[in-house]
Amino acid sequence: MREFVTQSPEETEALGEKIAKKLNGGEVLALFGEMGAGKTALTRGIARGLGVESGVSSPTFALVHEYRGRLPVYHFDMYRIEGWADLYSTGFFDYLGSGGVLIVEWSENIENALPEDAVRIHLRQGETENQRILTLEGMDL
Amino acid sequence: MILAVDSSAVAASAALVKDGKTLGEFYCNNGLTHSQTLMPMIDGLLKCTRVPVEKVDLLAVSAGPGSFTGIRIGVASVKGLAMPGNKPCVGVSTLEAIAQNLSHLTGTACAVMDARCGQVYNAVFSLNGKSVERLTPDRAISIENLAEECKKYANPLFLVGDGAKLCYNKTGFEALGTLLPPEILLFQRAWGVARAAEAAYRRGEAVSPAALMPIYLRPAQAERSLKRKQ
Repeated sequence: MREFVTQSPEETEALGEKIAKKLNGGEVLALFGEMGAGKTALTRGIARGLGVESGVSSPTFALVHEYRGRLPVYHFDMYRIEGWADLYSTGFFDYLGSGGVLIVEWSENIENALPEDAVRIHLRQGETENQRILTLEGMDL
Repeated sequence: MILAVDSSAVAASAALVKDGKTLGEFYCNNGLTHSQTLMPMIDGLLKCTRVPVEKVDLLAVSAGPGSFTGIRIGVASVKGLAMPGNKPCVGVSTLEAIAQNLSHLTGTACAVMDARCGQVYNAVFSLNGKSVERLTPDRAISIENLAEECKKYANPLFLVGDGAKLCYNKTGFEALGTLLPPEILLFQRAWGVARAAEAAYRRGEAVSPAALMPIYLRPAQAERSLKRKQ
């Protein structure tokens, strides 16, 4: 497990770009953190690192957004997933085997459904308004 | 001074209430999403009443039950308005806000919101002509079970909320001779949110903007939990 401290959303995005360089497809990046913790900023960075230049936003209402970059990116928001039936209806299990990169916001809500080899990224606010502390498990950076 | 917001169902509203007096209230039921209507309504309300947002002492929102997206929009809007001044916030039960519409009556208020699949979100309140007193917690319950339970409450029994007509036409409730309030009193409004919030504030239930959270009523999970137990 490794810890990173960023001082701005831009720095969080830059960390995301670094993570993207390590991706080969098929990874599940499980994000944990409250509203405003920087999950979407990190995802924007990862997507940019994969060549997706714009259009990244939290899929709170759509549940999943798809982006086309060097690898396909499936950006989930599990905030409103309450049970297995809900999760099933998002297509999550189909995407798991698709070879794309899954980025899963609010992984807290589906923790028992995450694959064992999921990369776990916890985000939380640091000591200042814009500071964020990120911990990365399951991936070397 | 209380600024109250409701976007828990299809309509949205905002009200400014000072010492029990409604200085202004906006209500929109035009099918536009709350993300489009709510903030302009709040802005318009503050402008029309000439009350700067700094003068607001307490922010209130119907925090659930209700529409998933609606509640998130309401709670997020209130959080945003409250954060700069770190103002106290109250998230009230939508059902309690609805029951406020009948606080002038005597009897029982059975607040119901349609939860689909024969279920309603419900709470029951006793009405004494001045205030409402909670008799049950907020819960999801089948219409049949609720009708059965309602036999024990004091008459007259009023159905109120967007599930009121649904229940009223069901056999179990027909047998009870329940009453429906007029349309204008049937649904949640920001005024009722403010009124419920005032009572909650006096009970010491105000929280910081950061601690304000939506309240979702979740169905009981029989199977293995998807969420890992903390």
